[in-house]
Amino acid sequence: MTNYLIRRFFQMTLVVIAASMAIYFILWLAPGGPLDELKMAGAGGRANQGFTEEQIARISEYLGLHRGPFWGYTAWLTGEDWFDSIGREELQTSSCRAVETTCSRGVIRGDFGISWNVARGSPVADVLLSRLRNTMILMISATVISLVIAIPIGIFSAVRQYSRLDYVVTTFSFFGTAMPVFWFGLMMIILFGGNQSPLYKAFGFPYLPTGNVILVRPALEGSFLALINAKPGSWVDIAVHAILPTVVLSLLYMAGWSRFMRTAMLEVLRQDYVRTARAKGLKERVVIMKHAMRNGLIPLITIVVFQIPGIFGGATITETVFNWPGMGFLYVYALAANDYPVAMAFLFISAVLVVIASLLGDILYTIVDPRIRLG
Amino acid sequence: MAIAQLDSETLSTIKEESWFVIVGRRFIRHKLAVVGMVIILIFILTAIFANVLAPFDPYKQNLAPSYSNPSAEHLLGTDELGRDVFSRLLYAARISMFVTVLVNFVAETIGVFVGAISGYFGKWVDAVIQRAVEFLLTLPTLPLLLFFSAMLRGMTIPGLPDEWSKAIIISLVLIAFGWLGSTRLVRGMVLSLREQEFVQAARALGASDWKIITNHMIPNSLAPVIVNLTLGLGGTIVLEAALSFLGFGITPPVPTWGNMLQNVQERMWQQPWLAFYPGLCIFLTSLSFNYIGDGLRDALDPRLKL
Repeated sequence: MTNYLIRRFFQMTLVVIAASMAIYFILWLAPGGPLDELKMAGAGGRANQGFTEEQIARISEYLGLHRGPFWGYTAWLTGEDWFDSIGREELQTSSCRAVETTCSRGVIRGDFGISWNVARGSPVADVLLSRLRNTMILMISATVISLVIAIPIGIFSAVRQYSRLDYVVTTFSFFGTAMPVFWFGLMMIILFGGNQSPLYKAFGFPYLPTGNVILVRPALEGSFLALINAKPGSWVDIAVHAILPTVVLSLLYMAGWSRFMRTAMLEVLRQDYVRTARAKGLKERVVIMKHAMRNGLIPLITIVVFQIPGIFGGATITETVFNWPGMGFLYVYALAANDYPVAMAFLFISAVLVVIASLLGDILYTIVDPRIRLG
Repeated sequence: MAIAQLDSETLSTIKEESWFVIVGRRFIRHKLAVVGMVIILIFILTAIFANVLAPFDPYKQNLAPSYSNPSAEHLLGTDELGRDVFSRLLYAARISMFVTVLVNFVAETIGVFVGAISGYFGKWVDAVIQRAVEFLLTLPTLPLLLFFSAMLRGMTIPGLPDEWSKAIIISLVLIAFGWLGSTRLVRGMVLSLREQEFVQAARALGASDWKIITNHMIPNSLAPVIVNLTLGLGGTIVLEAALSFLGFGITPPVPTWGNMLQNVQERMWQQPWLAFYPGLCIFLTSLSFNYIGDGLRDALDPRLKL
């Protein structure tokens, strides 16, 4: 087992480094980038509005874009403070050359660099951390709720195959997997959110907030938040804001997972040992709960384990629709704004988490099913 | 007692049913799958004949009647730049269907061939290909798709009109990740198929490796691939719409169902149909593909466990 873990660890490191290298090189080679807008601004030829060549070169040196993909990646990974000790000072960013302490120390030593655009000047790690709490609130609630509901529904649906409940569940999961998240989110906002929602206008139904994570001004008349007199910034406030996005996310997860659970249970219920258990005279409930369900849950391990990178990465689309300031939203924003350090950090951490989740899944499989041997 | 006569003439004149007829008959039993096919056919026809059916030019901006309600003239109203929503919806069908069909057919074909080669030749070919596939699968998909489409969103293909060049670029991005699923499927099937006796027989008869792959391995692995294809069609349409919605896929003014939902949030309550109809089209198309896939799965091989 230790051998396997060591081997696996080396493979994981290799994969993460290869992935980050590939991403970095593609960032470099792709058209567009933070300098493009500046160059375009200067292309008009109007001396007082554009940027001259020297200014662009200066900005390029400040951002570290002057040193080409190979050295740029090396600087990102291992830091650039050692460049002057090997005599390649020109490869450092201008701020590094000027003030020693502003040199980036590289991802290996835990320094993800400075954001270029999203939060100009702030360390990327701070930017990511500020969003992490919001994403975790959303994702953990959605995951827990979905698991709690999807597993029993899937089991029930498999045990009572072809019944009306089964039919409802399969239709629901079909609809759920075909449903575009953003459309569903928008529909929910229109129905339940804001004081223009038809439910509020027709019935005075208290409406839910349509976006953001906390109130930015006192709650309006007729809203749910006014009803419960929530204090802006409190946990109650956050919880009410989280209702709509969590419901949207949970319903979609539930659709996929309940179907998955149903398939897994159907597979298990056809096995010989279930038939034996029934033949032994065990009560049906014991057969299902004690024998079938445990084996049916095994494939679900993969799903749950791969939620780990999801909990970090957030539900990008849901966050965008609900204006929920989380990691996914940050990533989209960073890509749109050509903020390379933030995008690289996000992708790097995602890749690391996926690789760890995959290893965790494999280890859990051996624990849960003694017939599986690793390596 | 009369003994039934084994008349060889009678036996040989029983009409053989082709595989397509058998599969087709089993498929028709699924009412929902048939409904799905009808809906997809309607969308495809709409896409092809969009320029005939659309009352207005989807790009024509007319700021005066912007955000107008549905009327006899503008069936579904106008959007924020005064463009007719109904016409944009029809033209969007074109791009969305084109991208979906192109991506899935090309990706499945690539996947089938790579998987067959990987499974048939085994040893180091298999090892290299599988490590590459695992590497690509390890990377987080949506962030990378966003990343690639963000990087490439400025590019155009010279010589093609704007909308087709954007469609092809986003298709290339989606294909780059789409071929992984069918590779594993086909590789698994080929690994078991190549041990069977008919392969030995074919080799004994002098068939080359390539012939065995194309005439025996691939046709026999097609059933799960077809199902995967239809499910992929359903998934890609939502994926392309998601990318366009976030601003990275196909950018305005080219209409796709996804980017028609982009600026909708400003006037969500005054003009909710702006949000409703494009999403409804995406949803119906995806649902229909899913039902077709389900029907096909049962029609092709009821024992398939997918």
